[in-house]
Amino acid sequence: MKGLWHNVQSTRFVVLLSLAITLLVSSPISAQDGAAALDGKKLFKTNCASCHYASDKKGTGPGLKGVLGRIPDGDWKYRWVRNSQEVIKSGDAYANKIFKEFNNSVMTNFGSLSDAEIDAILTYADKGETPPPPPGGAVVTVGGEAKQEPVNNTFLLIIVLVLLIILIAVLRFAKINLKNAVNEKEGRPDEPALPFLDAARKWMNENKRIVAVIGLFLVGGLVVNGWYMLKDVGVYAHEEKPGEWKGYKPSQPINFSHKIHAGDNGIDCKYCHSTVEKSKTASIPSANVCMNCHKVISETANPGSKEEIAKIYEAVGFDPAANAYTKPQKPIRWNKVHVLPDHVYFSHQQHVVVGKQECETCHGNVKEMTVAEQQRPLTMGWCINCHRETNVAMEDNGYYTELHAKMKEKYKGQPITVSMVGGIECARCHY
Amino acid sequence: MANETKYWKGLSQLNNEKEFSKKHDSEFAEYIPVEEFIGNKSAMEDSSTNRRDFLKFLGFSTVAATLAACEAPVTKAVPYVNRPEEITPGVANYYASTYFDGNDYCSVLVKTREGRPIKIEGNDSPDAINMGATNARVQASVLSLYDSNRLKGAMMKSGNGHSEVKWEDADEKIKARLAQAKGIAIVSSTIISPSTKQAIAEFKGKYASTRHVTYDAISYAGMLKANLSTFGAAMIPTYRLDNAQVIVSLGADFLANWISPIEHARQYSKVRKVSKDNREMAKHYQFETILSLTGANADERFNVKPSQLGQVALGLLAGVGGGVSAPNVLSKEVAKVAESLKAANGKAVVLCGSNDPAVQLVVNQINQKIGAYGSTIRTDIPDYTHQGDDTAVAKLVEYINSGAVDTVIFYNSNPALSAPKALGFESAMGKLATRISFAGWMDETASKCDFVCPDHYYLEAWNDHNPRNNHYNLQQPAIRPLFKTRHAQESLLTWAGNKTDWHTYIANYWKNNLIGRSKFGDFSTFWNKSVHDGVVVLAPAVAPVVEDPKPAAGKPVTDTTATAEPVVAVTNSAEQTISFTGGTITLDAAVSQLSVVKGGKYELVIYQKTGIGNGNQSSNPWLQEMPDPISKITWDNYITMNPADVAEKKLFGVEDGSGMMVRFDQMEDELDVVSIKANGYEVKLPVWPQPGQTRGTVGIAVGYGRKGYNEVIDSLGQNIYPAVGLNANGTMSYEVFDVAISDATGERHPIAATQTHHTLMGRNKDIIRETTLAEYKKDERAGNPLNTLHTYKGEQMVENVTLWNDFERPNHQWALAIDLNACIGCGACVVACNAENNVSVVGKEEVRKSREMHWMRIDRYFSSDTVKEKVEETGEMGTMAMYRSMENPSFDNPKVVFQPLMCQHCNHAPCETVCPVLATNHSSEGLNQMTYNRCVGTRYCANNCPYKVRRFNWFNYVEYHRFKNINPAQDDLGRMVLNPDVTVRSRGVMEKCSMCVQRIQAGKLEAKKAGVRPKDGSINTACAQSCPTNAITFGDLNDQQSKVAEMEQDSRKYEVLEVIGVKPSVFYMTKIWNREDENAHL
Repeated sequence: MKGLWHNVQSTRFVVLLSLAITLLVSSPISAQDGAAALDGKKLFKTNCASCHYASDKKGTGPGLKGVLGRIPDGDWKYRWVRNSQEVIKSGDAYANKIFKEFNNSVMTNFGSLSDAEIDAILTYADKGETPPPPPGGAVVTVGGEAKQEPVNNTFLLIIVLVLLIILIAVLRFAKINLKNAVNEKEGRPDEPALPFLDAARKWMNENKRIVAVIGLFLVGGLVVNGWYMLKDVGVYAHEEKPGEWKGYKPSQPINFSHKIHAGDNGIDCKYCHSTVEKSKTASIPSANVCMNCHKVISETANPGSKEEIAKIYEAVGFDPAANAYTKPQKPIRWNKVHVLPDHVYFSHQQHVVVGKQECETCHGNVKEMTVAEQQRPLTMGWCINCHRETNVAMEDNGYYTELHAKMKEKYKGQPITVSMVGGIECARCHY
Repeated sequence: MANETKYWKGLSQLNNEKEFSKKHDSEFAEYIPVEEFIGNKSAMEDSSTNRRDFLKFLGFSTVAATLAACEAPVTKAVPYVNRPEEITPGVANYYASTYFDGNDYCSVLVKTREGRPIKIEGNDSPDAINMGATNARVQASVLSLYDSNRLKGAMMKSGNGHSEVKWEDADEKIKARLAQAKGIAIVSSTIISPSTKQAIAEFKGKYASTRHVTYDAISYAGMLKANLSTFGAAMIPTYRLDNAQVIVSLGADFLANWISPIEHARQYSKVRKVSKDNREMAKHYQFETILSLTGANADERFNVKPSQLGQVALGLLAGVGGGVSAPNVLSKEVAKVAESLKAANGKAVVLCGSNDPAVQLVVNQINQKIGAYGSTIRTDIPDYTHQGDDTAVAKLVEYINSGAVDTVIFYNSNPALSAPKALGFESAMGKLATRISFAGWMDETASKCDFVCPDHYYLEAWNDHNPRNNHYNLQQPAIRPLFKTRHAQESLLTWAGNKTDWHTYIANYWKNNLIGRSKFGDFSTFWNKSVHDGVVVLAPAVAPVVEDPKPAAGKPVTDTTATAEPVVAVTNSAEQTISFTGGTITLDAAVSQLSVVKGGKYELVIYQKTGIGNGNQSSNPWLQEMPDPISKITWDNYITMNPADVAEKKLFGVEDGSGMMVRFDQMEDELDVVSIKANGYEVKLPVWPQPGQTRGTVGIAVGYGRKGYNEVIDSLGQNIYPAVGLNANGTMSYEVFDVAISDATGERHPIAATQTHHTLMGRNKDIIRETTLAEYKKDERAGNPLNTLHTYKGEQMVENVTLWNDFERPNHQWALAIDLNACIGCGACVVACNAENNVSVVGKEEVRKSREMHWMRIDRYFSSDTVKEKVEETGEMGTMAMYRSMENPSFDNPKVVFQPLMCQHCNHAPCETVCPVLATNHSSEGLNQMTYNRCVGTRYCANNCPYKVRRFNWFNYVEYHRFKNINPAQDDLGRMVLNPDVTVRSRGVMEKCSMCVQRIQAGKLEAKKAGVRPKDGSINTACAQSCPTNAITFGDLNDQQSKVAEMEQDSRKYEVLEVIGVKPSVFYMTKIWNREDENAHL
């Protein structure tokens, strides 16, 4: 999060919550510059940036660099920002001209902005913003990989193993040489050097007990390890360290980063996964949802962003040059990360709306994921455990009133978990 | 004691035949010779897989499976590029639409998931004619959408076959042909779409020689003609059975097929259900030849030969004071029914299934006499769903033969299958210069056509319907067309030079013609509301004149009898005039015609099956696998014959000295084939001994003998449509009064009948409980005595004797109540369950091995009409004779009870205690849960189930090539119908009814989100939802306000096999017959 403002400043990256525009200027209030400039930028990002650039570039609305020089004087700017349609209807020539120029797109009304705030925004936008440096330049991206890879133990082990094997070979070589030297000295003919395998066999013949013990350990180890490995088949996760899951992390056709969207820019999960409260599926957002923002944001400071965003344009058939949907559509084929078997019926709305669960409970810390991965095992045992430990959100839900009274009496003040109301019965999930 | 009635599912059970005991003693029908095979050296050596190979394969597959498991499977997730606003992945959308195939009409809701229709449900709008109900055919219709045999584009004849062509090319060629045509005819089934009619008119405008002929495979022309004679207008009235106290049906199968069966079933259930507070029910008499679904539900049923039906009608007319003389046919019974009709004082109705206008005309007179018009029959609300004009069809054949018509366009009609031989359509077809079909499949007619321009399936198409006066329906597509098909109407318009797309065309029609009659001023509101609701009732086009006591001016005088009362006139606000060219008939002519009818030794009735109907959907595997409610036969057609006639014919190679008891050892395995000749048409079909069939008659169902689908469907049965005759009044006659039946041909035909599959042991009151209305009025517990057990503590109620402790049900306790009095056995629930729960179709061969997968079945029990009390009272019989008679099959008129049976969700379930892996266990909400992934397939549970409701997956039905053309989920297209909320079970696991746990879970979630308890009725199982008679009620017993909790307290409630103490969550309500005699005794 600490990199957020740096990111925004250097990349024109915008937080997309609503739409705004402003076209007017009165006398610039230079005295307020210090605080107002900062304030203005923030306000601009929050309210205006989804349709306007603070440069010459045209978005859904005009670029606002030099705006104060263009618009009529007086309180026109305040009237326009608060209700542009009224200004247009009043027959104002400039308002009508601008409205027409931008395809009659109606600007959102910002009735809640004060005069001072509007001034601050316009003062900031009027000056314009330095365009972002080209990708690959000096600016270090902040949204990218941050975690250091853990030291790979396997690699060290292999090195040790190789060294040991070399040591054994050298020692054996020395032993044979020494033996030959002794034989030579004592006048005995050289023992024919047995090949390694024969020698090993001979040794094993002579030391059957040791071999048996070693064999027992080997077989035992294999069985135990194999057993635990089998438990992970198809689960994509194992409990190497408690709490840390090595998750399934498939590559995706578009390098979409949840960290940038949900983390750095704080977009609510439900903005894109919009059916999570209405349906069993949270749904992968359709590409038109991406276009709500990316119609304007075609590029950010992150390297490769332009290419990745262009993939959305290709999917929806959007021509950025003409600012129009003219090309054929090609649905995006994502690789599903959280896959439940077909015989499981899982309902997001049950868990999110009724159970009041956070997304993170099952999906982990998505806000930190550059590439989406499965961080929870999603096994039946894991589901059941949670159902045993989680309390039912019974308060303030009329459905549960009667049941709650009965359960309270039965369990004498214990918290009522999901399993107590039948939440681990087969037909809750399997039908 | 009361429990002496014997119930039996089939003749083999009744007679305790060898085959039957073999079948029910072992769990699975087929003997598996494992030991013989392994112990036989030469067999082993001959086998392509010897022991060593087997071990090699075993080792290889183990290793391969392990390796495959290690690999991380990559699952793709492909989101929408542009998610449509109304689609939330994982949430179903419902669209109102309409099913009308020219025979069945139903306003429906289409359930779609991610844009795929997966289930059909009844539209429960108060304006919907079907009142939220459906039947098996409508339920199954969603499957045909995904039939890979559908045509994928425009086809043109080339050589012996057809090849796909571009639509533009086809249009060009067709236009050229039409321009040269000497005379064009559009042959369609009934069209109730006003926009389509306008499109046809526009087509006529361009091609002036066009005539439009309405041809229905199952025709109601007899009724149209009779009503034209009586009322001066060819029309079919609306029937209000819910106003009737006495319902008399003359061969009308009104609960399964006749005119508007779904609506009738719901009306019927309203007057047939009884409760503590309402102890009255309508009385239902049925005169019929075959044992139909409707007849099986009748309180009193009388066997008549088809040739006698008209005479029975005359008898009734005489009985109600119609001034005709009564012929001597069933005079006692007829007189009794006539008395009953008169006594009902206007709250009575006579329905007639005959297509002979003479019979219908007599029936009209009866209905007038008993005051049915205006009360149970509404002529002021004409029904437009059947407009077939048989005379016009015959005329068309003449025109074709004379060359006046040389081009025919077939729209939703298939005369190559369904035209009577007598009509000579086949040869006429050959004389045409151009034949064009709109069929969506390469059916019998399409395959003879020069051009096939496939229409969309109804779930892909826009249309509007006007099924009844002032009733309008919109049919909106629930999916984009799967193939390159085109609206038939758009084809007509294109050829007429109008380029408007069909959706706009309909909207324009509604804008120009209908908005004025709505309560909306603004078209888009009107249109959107109509699309949303699916149904709309408009103000009458003309101010109605209802119940004009005077006959309409200029109408033919039909009533020559002085005693006839004035007719109720048809409302003059009728918005559709049915084009009918059949002329009229006078009552005198009718009477004299009917008085002299004579039948031969054997007579034939050609009927529609409850599942297959007129054959429109005979390629639908769900319908083929649904056992016929009466015969319980799947995947076949056959000749039904009274067992006594079978014995007389010496079929099955068995002769019995008494001539009454025939051994039916083979009957559930193979049937004797005979050949039958009717109206110059001969077919060979197996004979099914059917109790309840009138002696001296046989019945054969239509819809089989199809050609052009796939080898499985094409191999089923024979087509009997050509045997339909044309009677003297110019209408099609589905009864043949004289047919020749050969002796056994020596051929045997394997049959897949489920009637004795999964038989419950014990043929007495533990399964079925019934009583009469009179008894019930006296005693609420009539027919439902309390079950007690002798214990060391003395006599105890069964529910108090148990080995297990009870478990708490703190939250919900789900239960199903089934009212045997409401259930008509139609099978809608069975198909609905198939659709909802992805139940596999297994095909005829597997059904023959008792391996059908249906989660719910409808057991059909027959019982004798001899009862102990009656015998003791009369003292006519000795004890031995009495017992023999009680086991007497009552070949002629067995009493029939239907009992839907699914997993009973026993609270002390025997299956749960024997599962070695705990794959089946109990939930705290009273459900018996089945966990497929835990099941290892020991089948102990099925062995231990007293209700025989568990089903084992012997094969991977969706993958194994043997089930190609049988299991619809074999290809990607067929899989689209699967319900994504329910697991598709694989080989080697047990499955059974889950009480639609996916719906319960979804309903609970909705309630939790809203923070309220689920409202009674907000959660419903698929079977309960589809039931046209509301015989199944689902609910929470812990909710004291729920309907099911109320029914649980009712004294009619009983549990099947209560004495074994398993405490099922499914319970039944006793069946009540409205009979005077003690047939259905205590």
